[in-house]
Amino acid sequence: MAIRKSFAGLGLGLTAALALSGCSADAGDGSVTLQMVESLTNPARTEVLKGLIADFEEENPDITVELVSPPTDQADQKIQQMLQAGSGVDVVEVRDITVGPFSTNGWLADMSDELEDWDGWANLTENATKYAKNADGETFYVPYGFYGLSLFYRTDLVEDAGFDGPPASWEDLLEQATALQDPAKNQFGYAFRGGTNANSNVVVAIEAYVADQIDEENAFKLTNGDTIFSAPEAKDALETYFDLFEEASPPSSVAWGYPEMVEGFSNGSTAFLLQDPEVIATVEQSDAITAEQWSTAPLLVGPSGKAIQPMATAGWGTAEASEHKEEAAKLIAFLSEGDAATTFAEKNSLVPILKDAAESEFYKTGAWASYVTMNEDPETWISAVQPRDSSWWTEWIQKSDSEVQQVLIGDMTQDELLESWDAYWTDKWKTE
Amino acid sequence: MTRSQTPPVERPSTTAGAPAGQDNGLRAGSRRTFTLRKGLSILAFLSPALIFVAIFIYYPMIQGSQMAFRNWNLNNLTDTAWVGFGNFEKIFADPVFYTVLGNTLVWVIGSIIPQFILGFAIALWLRRKFPFRGLYQALIFFPWAISGFLIGILFRWMFNSEFGVVNDLLAKVGLIDTPIPWLADPSTAMLAVTIANVWYGVTFFAIMILAALQSVPDELFEAAALDGAGKVRMLFQITIPYIRTTLALTVLLRVIWIFNFPDIIWAMTGGGPANQTHIVTTWMISTTQRGDYGVASALGLIIVAILMVFSAFYLVAIREKKDVLS
Amino acid sequence: MINQETMPARVTRILFLGVWLIITVFPLYWIIVTSFKTPGAIFSYPLTYWPEVFSIENYVGLFEKAQFGTYILNSLLISTVAAIFATLISMLSAYVLARFDFRTKGALLMAFLVTQMIPSFIALGPLYLMMVQLKLVDNKFGLILIYIAVCIPFSTVMLRGFFANVPDALEEAAMIDGCSRIGALFRVIVPVMKPGIVAAFIFNFVNCWNELFLSVTLMNRDSNKTIPTALNGFISSYNIDWGSMSAAAVLTIIPTMVLFAFASKYIVQGLTAGAVKG
Repeated sequence: MAIRKSFAGLGLGLTAALALSGCSADAGDGSVTLQMVESLTNPARTEVLKGLIADFEEENPDITVELVSPPTDQADQKIQQMLQAGSGVDVVEVRDITVGPFSTNGWLADMSDELEDWDGWANLTENATKYAKNADGETFYVPYGFYGLSLFYRTDLVEDAGFDGPPASWEDLLEQATALQDPAKNQFGYAFRGGTNANSNVVVAIEAYVADQIDEENAFKLTNGDTIFSAPEAKDALETYFDLFEEASPPSSVAWGYPEMVEGFSNGSTAFLLQDPEVIATVEQSDAITAEQWSTAPLLVGPSGKAIQPMATAGWGTAEASEHKEEAAKLIAFLSEGDAATTFAEKNSLVPILKDAAESEFYKTGAWASYVTMNEDPETWISAVQPRDSSWWTEWIQKSDSEVQQVLIGDMTQDELLESWDAYWTDKWKTE
Repeated sequence: MTRSQTPPVERPSTTAGAPAGQDNGLRAGSRRTFTLRKGLSILAFLSPALIFVAIFIYYPMIQGSQMAFRNWNLNNLTDTAWVGFGNFEKIFADPVFYTVLGNTLVWVIGSIIPQFILGFAIALWLRRKFPFRGLYQALIFFPWAISGFLIGILFRWMFNSEFGVVNDLLAKVGLIDTPIPWLADPSTAMLAVTIANVWYGVTFFAIMILAALQSVPDELFEAAALDGAGKVRMLFQITIPYIRTTLALTVLLRVIWIFNFPDIIWAMTGGGPANQTHIVTTWMISTTQRGDYGVASALGLIIVAILMVFSAFYLVAIREKKDVLS
Repeated sequence: MINQETMPARVTRILFLGVWLIITVFPLYWIIVTSFKTPGAIFSYPLTYWPEVFSIENYVGLFEKAQFGTYILNSLLISTVAAIFATLISMLSAYVLARFDFRTKGALLMAFLVTQMIPSFIALGPLYLMMVQLKLVDNKFGLILIYIAVCIPFSTVMLRGFFANVPDALEEAAMIDGCSRIGALFRVIVPVMKPGIVAAFIFNFVNCWNELFLSVTLMNRDSNKTIPTALNGFISSYNIDWGSMSAAAVLTIIPTMVLFAFASKYIVQGLTAGAVKG
């Protein structure tokens, strides 16, 4: 009897839930609700985005946008589930490292048709256009900005040590950082990256050393078709780079990832940091160092006097399963032009996608000045495309990170590392 | 209906296992009186639990397990052919798998033994009433209130060699001159993550054992005291045998959980430096991160197989199989 | 034994418990101190063990910028409801597993144990699809259903131990008095086991309270988010917002600590009462 009751209760509950949960259906009056999912979420950015969405909704009263902001560590997995199930997502944040898999699986819509008459194309920078239209002319996402590296440095310490200015090359950095290193006082030269994504800066160093032979369409390839890891200059690069760790970095930086590097610089104990512009906002908050004590310098060059700027990017795309592709494209166009695009890039410290944004005061002053310098001299700071959209990119990250750590703890030699990386990419290109 | 005529507590019984005498009685009785009515009662009482677990756990689990036998890579789902045991072969052919198995063993044993001993000691000493004992218990239970991932992040910063509080305190009391690069050095990284896990898990043992201890009748101790038994002898001859089943079951559950608990390691080291702190489950996470759900699922099934074999052997070894599992 | 304690034993006990208290509580202290620091002061070196300026900025931010109040209410609602139902359902199954003997019993228990061994990501894809079809994505009720299922195996195994030790004579008497079996269960046995049931409830509650993976996957809107999702939101790809996260952690710990404080007596007595004395 009681059992039957409890079953009945369960059944009732289920029915009620089914009835109640018919959410986000269109109201039938022509109005549309878009679900938009973020990937590189952080609370401040979410707030900016919400503000822009509100502006969009005001312009388009028949469109409502529901922003979904999962924690960034879990976001891509959630997005995958949503895209795979073909449910709950119209506009999605696509990263250069996810666009490959997502489009291969048919999860992303090609927006070329919807955006054909968009007049915003004219104002996109060359780089932005390059990423927004792939080799086959498809538009799976429109970038909202770029991440690029520059060198954060302590003006006061560099001056006190008797140097004229910030290091320009990797060799300079090694010299200055070594001079500033004083572990007894908890003062370190360089915020070395040994933890997650350790490979990225190793690759940047190698690229700087082979900059004048690099294939600009594939920054891991030399113009002669071999990998950059096979070049003899790569050995010099590694030597300098790992000397930085031995001579001028905190010993525990074997395990340092992004947060440790940034904290090391922000709390005043490390003098140099190679990072994205995002860090500017964090360092500005620091109580430990004042605005007069730090600045940024352009990315370090190699012996040839050139460097390769590794471009990382992300943007907005439309889910193939979306029933509102038209409206989704409208939102993406709105975010990729005019004030919305500028606001988003400035508030999130991104290298902008709009040609006229680079002219704005914001990017000419303070810590941003080095980005302008790099932008204005594309012969020295060459932008070449890393193969970040390969389907094995995350596998590569894991492999190369682990091997960098093996070199740091003495389980692998620098030559073995280069051989391994060379073999890996040569092999992948063969099967491609 | 079935029930036992045996007095409920004749031999030492515990929280977790049925008293052996009673169990036998039930068994004998049930054979005689199995009726349709009884069968229906069993079904009725079990069905809510079975329905929930079947729908929300077993159905998706079995569906998902297919991935282990297919070429299921998120980077390219256009061809998800069946590959038989191909994914398993890939795992067994990878030398890292064996490093990871070794690490897992160190991690489980290194965590469970100190957790058990500390938990036991706390439980023993908490038996005695003292002022604010309730508050004390609430305070030492606090690690439970936070998720393992956050504990991991917190400990990652405390073990940071330059800015971390662990080295700072050790230096302040004069135990070390130069900071220890806890998470950067392969020889200390495993130690650091294990310390975090021990800190996190002692509470569980403390509660379970404390509870079990309260079931030991005082009369037993009084009798032993009259015989002139020493405290240590009492512990090993009375207390431990008395709560043996609880201890056994608690250890088994903890082994399963610790084996399957990637959160702390994932947050503290991500398996580094150079795979030295990867356990099977963190390695599995990194496999899912590069999109290879086929191999990761196969690894998941290997984990289940290992734990099932372990549980079976364990239960036989402690010769409590009937009590614990039947 | 309990009444005799020599001086050295007493000192050892107090010393041990004191040291353990410090070790356990220190990280809690650290979180609390961090939560009252300004963003700049968090990144300072040498370390400060006591903030120079107490700032409640982090706490204010939680309620102004993030809807932290909503998250706490959601977590309380979802965890409480799920834990209550999981405990009730587990009582039924545990009762059968403790009182009856049947051929598939061992297999059933193993089946419950296996759920503790299998990594959840394997089930996630099919589970998500199922929830989409049931229209239970981004729905508190849907998450509650799943949490109930997740809690059942462990609490069944745990409660089974308590039932096994409640003397049969009790329900026998009740059933002679005309109660049905379920009547006997709820009217006679449950009151005796109340403390043990509280303990099971606490276990279930905390498990739901801390669950991140399923909550992130199944919940979308801010108004449906739970605390672990919010806490992890403070970790972005390039920074960890220590101030906000610590403040959020402190607020998260408070309800569970209160629960523990009230229940700690029950947990001890609970497991005890289940175990002895017929």
